[in-house]
Amino acid sequence: MEFIIGGAYQGKKDFAIRKYGLSEDDVFTCTEAEGIRFGAKCVNKIAEFTLWCIRNGKDAVEIFREHRAEWKDSVLICDDIFCGIVPLGADMRAWREMTGRLCGYLSSEARTVTRIFCGLEQRIK
Amino acid sequence: MTVLISGGSKNGKTGLAQDIAVKLSGDGKRYYVATMIPYDDEDRARIGRHIAERAGLGFDTLEIGTDIARCLDGWRNGTFLLDSVTALLANEMFSSSQNGNADPGAFVRCRDGLLKLARCADNAVFVTDYIYSDAIRYDALTEQYRETLALLDRALAEVCDTVIEMCAGNLIFHKGGIAL
Repeated sequence: MEFIIGGAYQGKKDFAIRKYGLSEDDVFTCTEAEGIRFGAKCVNKIAEFTLWCIRNGKDAVEIFREHRAEWKDSVLICDDIFCGIVPLGADMRAWREMTGRLCGYLSSEARTVTRIFCGLEQRIK
Repeated sequence: MTVLISGGSKNGKTGLAQDIAVKLSGDGKRYYVATMIPYDDEDRARIGRHIAERAGLGFDTLEIGTDIARCLDGWRNGTFLLDSVTALLANEMFSSSQNGNADPGAFVRCRDGLLKLARCADNAVFVTDYIYSDAIRYDALTEQYRETLALLDRALAEVCDTVIEMCAGNLIFHKGGIAL
Protein backbone atom coordinates (compact mmCIF):
# COMPACT_ATOMS: atom_id res chain seq x y z
CA MET A 1 0.00 0.00 0.00
CA GLU A 2 1.13 3.51 -0.83
CA PHE A 3 -0.09 6.21 1.53
CA ILE A 4 -0.44 9.87 0.53
CA ILE A 5 -1.10 12.64 3.03
CA GLY A 6 -1.26 16.42 2.81
CA GLY A 7 -3.41 19.47 3.43
CA ALA A 8 -6.60 20.29 1.57
CA TYR A 9 -6.35 21.15 -2.15
CA GLN A 10 -2.63 20.37 -2.37
CA GLY A 11 -2.95 18.10 -5.42
CA LYS A 12 -2.83 14.67 -3.71
CA LYS A 13 -5.19 12.88 -6.09
CA ASP A 14 -3.55 14.40 -9.19
CA PHE A 15 -0.20 13.20 -7.84
CA ALA A 16 -1.54 9.67 -7.22
CA ILE A 17 -2.92 9.42 -10.75
CA ARG A 18 0.34 10.66 -12.26
CA LYS A 19 2.68 8.69 -10.03
CA TYR A 20 0.90 5.33 -10.07
CA GLY A 21 -0.48 5.41 -13.62
CA LEU A 22 -4.14 5.52 -12.58
CA SER A 23 -7.21 7.01 -14.23
CA GLU A 24 -10.03 8.97 -12.56
CA ASP A 25 -12.15 5.80 -12.76
CA ASP A 26 -9.67 3.95 -10.53
CA VAL A 27 -10.30 6.42 -7.70
CA PHE A 28 -13.04 5.80 -5.15
CA THR A 29 -13.93 8.91 -3.16
CA CYS A 30 -15.21 8.44 0.40
CA THR A 31 -18.10 10.57 1.64
CA GLU A 32 -19.47 11.47 5.04
CA ALA A 33 -22.86 10.10 3.97
CA GLU A 34 -21.82 6.80 2.37
CA GLY A 35 -18.49 5.97 3.99
CA ILE A 36 -15.97 3.80 2.19
CA ARG A 37 -15.82 1.01 -0.39
CA PHE A 38 -12.73 -1.19 -0.28
CA GLY A 39 -11.15 -2.78 -3.31
CA ALA A 40 -10.55 0.28 -5.49
CA LYS A 41 -7.01 0.86 -6.81
CA CYS A 42 -7.09 4.23 -5.09
CA VAL A 43 -9.22 5.34 -2.14
CA ASN A 44 -9.40 9.12 -1.71
CA LYS A 45 -10.70 11.36 1.10
CA ILE A 46 -10.30 8.84 3.91
CA ALA A 47 -11.03 11.61 6.45
CA GLU A 48 -14.58 11.65 5.04
CA PHE A 49 -14.81 7.95 5.91
CA THR A 50 -13.64 8.61 9.47
CA LEU A 51 -16.32 11.30 9.76
CA TRP A 52 -18.85 8.67 8.62
CA CYS A 53 -17.47 6.43 11.40
CA ILE A 54 -18.02 9.16 13.96
CA ARG A 55 -21.60 9.70 12.75
CA ASN A 56 -22.30 5.95 12.86
CA GLY A 57 -20.48 4.93 16.03
CA LYS A 58 -17.82 2.83 14.25
CA ASP A 59 -14.06 2.58 14.74
CA ALA A 60 -12.12 3.38 11.57
CA VAL A 61 -8.95 1.50 12.55
CA GLU A 62 -10.90 -1.68 13.36
CA ILE A 63 -12.71 -1.54 10.02
CA PHE A 64 -9.42 -1.06 8.17
CA ARG A 65 -7.82 -3.99 10.04
CA GLU A 66 -10.73 -6.25 9.10
CA HIS A 67 -10.44 -5.36 5.41
CA ARG A 68 -6.65 -5.39 5.16
CA ALA A 69 -6.55 -7.87 2.27
CA GLU A 70 -8.71 -5.53 0.19
CA TRP A 71 -6.48 -2.44 0.46
CA LYS A 72 -2.98 -3.82 0.95
CA ASP A 73 -2.14 -3.16 -2.73
CA SER A 74 -4.06 0.14 -3.02
CA VAL A 75 -3.09 3.80 -3.00
CA LEU A 76 -4.74 5.47 0.00
CA ILE A 77 -5.12 9.25 0.36
CA CYS A 78 -5.99 11.20 3.50
CA ASP A 79 -6.20 14.92 4.29
CA ASP A 80 -3.84 16.20 6.96
CA ILE A 81 -6.30 17.82 9.42
CA PHE A 82 -3.93 17.92 12.37
CA CYS A 83 -2.30 21.34 12.41
CA GLY A 84 -5.15 23.63 13.48
CA ILE A 85 -6.51 24.61 16.87
CA VAL A 86 -8.47 22.04 18.89
CA PRO A 87 -11.98 21.95 17.39
CA LEU A 88 -14.76 23.36 19.59
CA GLY A 89 -17.24 20.56 18.89
CA ALA A 90 -16.81 17.19 20.63
CA ASP A 91 -17.63 15.28 17.44
CA MET A 92 -15.01 17.23 15.47
CA ARG A 93 -12.44 16.51 18.21
CA ALA A 94 -13.32 12.81 18.05
CA TRP A 95 -13.07 12.95 14.25
CA ARG A 96 -9.61 14.45 14.39
CA GLU A 97 -8.48 11.93 17.01
CA MET A 98 -9.78 8.94 15.07
CA THR A 99 -8.32 10.19 11.80
CA GLY A 100 -4.97 10.66 13.51
CA ARG A 101 -4.98 7.11 14.87
CA LEU A 102 -5.94 5.75 11.46
CA CYS A 103 -3.16 7.71 9.73
CA GLY A 104 -0.66 6.32 12.22
CA TYR A 105 -1.84 2.77 11.48
CA LEU A 106 -1.82 3.30 7.70
CA SER A 107 1.64 4.87 7.82
CA SER A 108 2.97 1.85 9.71
CA GLU A 109 1.42 -0.50 7.13
CA ALA A 110 2.47 1.52 4.08
CA ARG A 111 5.35 0.69 1.77
CA THR A 112 5.76 4.42 1.08
CA VAL A 113 4.33 7.56 2.66
CA THR A 114 4.33 10.72 0.57
CA ARG A 115 3.34 14.17 1.75
CA ILE A 116 2.10 16.59 -0.91
CA PHE A 117 2.90 20.28 -0.42
CA CYS A 118 1.78 22.82 -3.04
CA GLY A 119 1.62 19.97 -5.55
CA LEU A 120 5.20 18.84 -4.81
CA GLU A 121 5.99 15.42 -3.36
CA GLN A 122 7.95 14.88 -0.18
CA ARG A 123 8.75 11.26 0.57
CA ILE A 124 8.53 10.81 4.34
CA LYS A 125 8.72 7.00 4.48
CA MET B 1 15.59 33.46 -9.43
CA THR B 2 12.03 32.92 -8.22
CA VAL B 3 11.24 31.67 -4.72
CA LEU B 4 7.98 30.64 -3.04
CA ILE B 5 7.89 30.64 0.77
CA SER B 6 4.96 29.06 2.62
CA GLY B 7 4.25 27.71 6.09
CA GLY B 8 2.20 28.49 9.16
CA SER B 9 1.87 31.98 10.60
CA LYS B 10 4.45 33.62 12.89
CA ASN B 11 7.23 31.41 11.55
CA GLY B 12 9.57 34.06 10.20
CA LYS B 13 8.51 33.85 6.55
CA THR B 14 8.75 37.60 5.95
CA GLY B 15 12.18 37.82 7.59
CA LEU B 16 13.47 34.97 5.46
CA ALA B 17 11.96 36.53 2.33
CA GLN B 18 13.76 39.80 3.12
CA ASP B 19 17.09 38.03 3.58
CA ILE B 20 16.64 36.17 0.28
CA ALA B 21 15.54 39.29 -1.61
CA VAL B 22 18.54 41.26 -0.31
CA LYS B 23 20.88 38.47 -1.35
CA LEU B 24 19.35 37.98 -4.80
CA SER B 25 19.25 41.69 -5.62
CA GLY B 26 22.93 42.36 -5.00
CA ASP B 27 23.46 45.98 -6.05
CA GLY B 28 20.16 46.09 -8.00
CA LYS B 29 16.83 47.63 -7.05
CA ARG B 30 14.73 45.84 -4.47
CA TYR B 31 11.01 46.36 -3.97
CA TYR B 32 8.81 45.32 -1.09
CA VAL B 33 5.35 44.79 -2.60
CA ALA B 34 2.92 45.42 0.25
CA THR B 35 -0.44 43.87 -0.68
CA MET B 36 -2.31 44.50 2.56
CA ILE B 37 -4.94 47.21 2.37
CA PRO B 38 -5.30 48.52 5.96
CA TYR B 39 -8.84 48.63 7.32
CA ASP B 40 -8.27 49.53 10.98
CA ASP B 41 -5.70 50.56 13.59
CA GLU B 42 -4.62 46.96 14.15
CA ASP B 43 -3.70 46.66 10.44
CA ARG B 44 -1.93 50.02 10.51
CA ALA B 45 0.08 48.98 13.61
CA ARG B 46 1.12 45.72 11.91
CA ILE B 47 2.19 47.56 8.78
CA GLY B 48 4.15 50.01 10.95
CA ARG B 49 6.03 47.10 12.56
CA HIS B 50 6.85 45.62 9.15
CA ILE B 51 8.16 48.97 7.88
CA ALA B 52 10.38 49.33 10.98
CA GLU B 53 11.68 45.76 10.57
CA ARG B 54 12.84 46.34 7.02
CA ALA B 55 14.25 49.82 7.62
CA GLY B 56 17.85 49.97 6.45
CA LEU B 57 17.51 46.97 4.11
CA GLY B 58 17.15 49.23 1.07
CA PHE B 59 13.65 48.29 -0.07
CA ASP B 60 11.40 50.69 -1.93
CA THR B 61 7.83 49.94 -0.85
CA LEU B 62 5.15 49.48 -3.51
CA GLU B 63 1.63 49.45 -2.10
CA ILE B 64 -0.28 47.32 -4.61
CA GLY B 65 -3.34 45.46 -3.31
CA THR B 66 -4.87 44.36 -6.62
CA ASP B 67 -3.80 43.75 -10.26
CA ILE B 68 -0.38 42.67 -9.11
CA ALA B 69 1.31 42.89 -12.50
CA ARG B 70 1.25 46.69 -11.96
CA CYS B 71 4.55 46.06 -10.13
CA LEU B 72 6.11 46.06 -13.59
CA ASP B 73 4.49 49.33 -14.77
CA GLY B 74 6.81 51.83 -16.44
CA TRP B 75 9.37 49.10 -17.23
CA ARG B 76 10.15 48.89 -13.52
CA ASN B 77 12.28 45.83 -12.74
CA GLY B 78 14.58 44.43 -10.09
CA THR B 79 13.96 42.09 -7.16
CA PHE B 80 10.37 41.98 -5.90
CA LEU B 81 9.34 40.66 -2.51
CA LEU B 82 5.58 40.07 -2.63
CA ASP B 83 4.03 39.83 0.83
CA SER B 84 1.58 38.18 0.55
CA VAL B 85 -0.32 36.05 -1.98
CA THR B 86 -2.87 35.48 0.82
CA ALA B 87 -3.74 39.17 1.18
CA LEU B 88 -3.69 39.75 -2.59
CA LEU B 89 -6.30 37.04 -3.12
CA ALA B 90 -8.46 38.35 -0.28
CA ASN B 91 -8.42 41.82 -1.87
CA GLU B 92 -9.30 40.44 -5.29
CA MET B 93 -12.03 38.06 -4.08
CA PHE B 94 -13.75 40.18 -1.46
CA SER B 95 -13.54 43.77 -2.66
CA SER B 96 -16.49 45.70 -1.22
CA SER B 97 -18.28 46.02 -4.56
CA GLN B 98 -19.05 42.30 -4.62
CA ASN B 99 -21.83 42.34 -1.96
CA GLY B 100 -20.38 39.50 0.07
CA ASN B 101 -19.88 37.16 -2.89
CA ALA B 102 -16.48 36.21 -4.23
CA ASP B 103 -15.42 37.98 -7.42
CA PRO B 104 -15.47 35.18 -10.02
CA GLY B 105 -12.58 36.75 -11.93
CA ALA B 106 -10.26 36.87 -8.91
CA PHE B 107 -8.43 33.59 -9.53
CA VAL B 108 -7.50 34.28 -13.15
CA ARG B 109 -6.46 37.88 -12.38
CA CYS B 110 -4.25 36.76 -9.47
CA ARG B 111 -2.77 33.78 -11.31
CA ASP B 112 -1.96 35.66 -14.51
CA GLY B 113 -0.50 38.62 -12.60
CA LEU B 114 1.63 36.44 -10.33
CA LEU B 115 2.91 34.28 -13.20
CA LYS B 116 3.73 37.40 -15.23
CA LEU B 117 5.70 38.78 -12.30
CA ALA B 118 7.50 35.44 -11.88
CA ARG B 119 8.32 35.37 -15.60
CA CYS B 120 9.39 38.99 -16.09
CA ALA B 121 11.03 40.07 -12.84
CA ASP B 122 14.80 39.86 -12.46
CA ASN B 123 14.05 38.08 -9.18
CA ALA B 124 10.84 37.49 -7.25
CA VAL B 125 10.14 36.15 -3.77
CA PHE B 126 6.52 35.23 -3.02
CA VAL B 127 5.22 34.80 0.52
CA THR B 128 2.04 32.79 1.07
CA ASP B 129 0.34 31.07 4.00
CA TYR B 130 -0.27 27.40 4.57
CA ILE B 131 -3.89 27.20 5.79
CA TYR B 132 -4.84 23.69 4.73
CA SER B 133 -4.35 21.37 7.68
CA ASP B 134 -6.97 22.05 10.31
CA ALA B 135 -10.03 20.05 11.34
CA ILE B 136 -12.71 22.65 10.70
CA ARG B 137 -15.67 22.55 8.33
CA TYR B 138 -15.77 26.05 6.87
CA ASP B 139 -18.63 27.85 5.16
CA ALA B 140 -18.69 27.65 1.37
CA LEU B 141 -17.17 31.09 0.81
CA THR B 142 -14.20 30.42 3.12
CA GLU B 143 -13.74 26.99 1.52
CA GLN B 144 -13.70 28.65 -1.92
CA TYR B 145 -11.03 31.06 -0.69
CA ARG B 146 -8.86 28.21 0.68
CA GLU B 147 -9.16 26.23 -2.54
CA THR B 148 -8.34 29.26 -4.70
CA LEU B 149 -5.29 30.15 -2.59
CA ALA B 150 -4.11 26.54 -2.87
CA LEU B 151 -4.44 26.70 -6.67
CA LEU B 152 -2.35 29.90 -6.73
CA ASP B 153 0.27 28.32 -4.44
CA ARG B 154 0.46 25.28 -6.72
CA ALA B 155 0.75 27.41 -9.87
CA LEU B 156 3.62 29.35 -8.27
CA ALA B 157 5.29 26.20 -6.90
CA GLU B 158 5.30 24.77 -10.42
CA VAL B 159 7.17 27.72 -11.97
CA CYS B 160 9.36 28.88 -9.08
CA ASP B 161 12.99 27.73 -8.96
CA THR B 162 12.89 27.23 -5.21
CA VAL B 163 10.01 26.30 -2.87
CA ILE B 164 10.55 26.58 0.87
CA GLU B 165 8.27 25.61 3.74
CA MET B 166 9.06 27.27 7.06
CA CYS B 167 8.41 25.36 10.24
CA ALA B 168 9.23 27.00 13.59
CA GLY B 169 11.89 29.11 11.93
CA ASN B 170 13.44 26.13 10.12
CA LEU B 171 13.58 25.70 6.36
CA ILE B 172 12.25 22.67 4.48
CA PHE B 173 13.23 22.74 0.81
CA HIS B 174 10.60 21.17 -1.43
CA LYS B 175 12.29 22.29 -4.63
CA GLY B 176 15.59 23.89 -5.60
CA GLY B 177 17.78 25.55 -3.00
CA ILE B 178 19.53 28.75 -2.06
CA ALA B 179 22.70 29.46 -0.12
CA LEU B 180 22.10 32.05 2.57
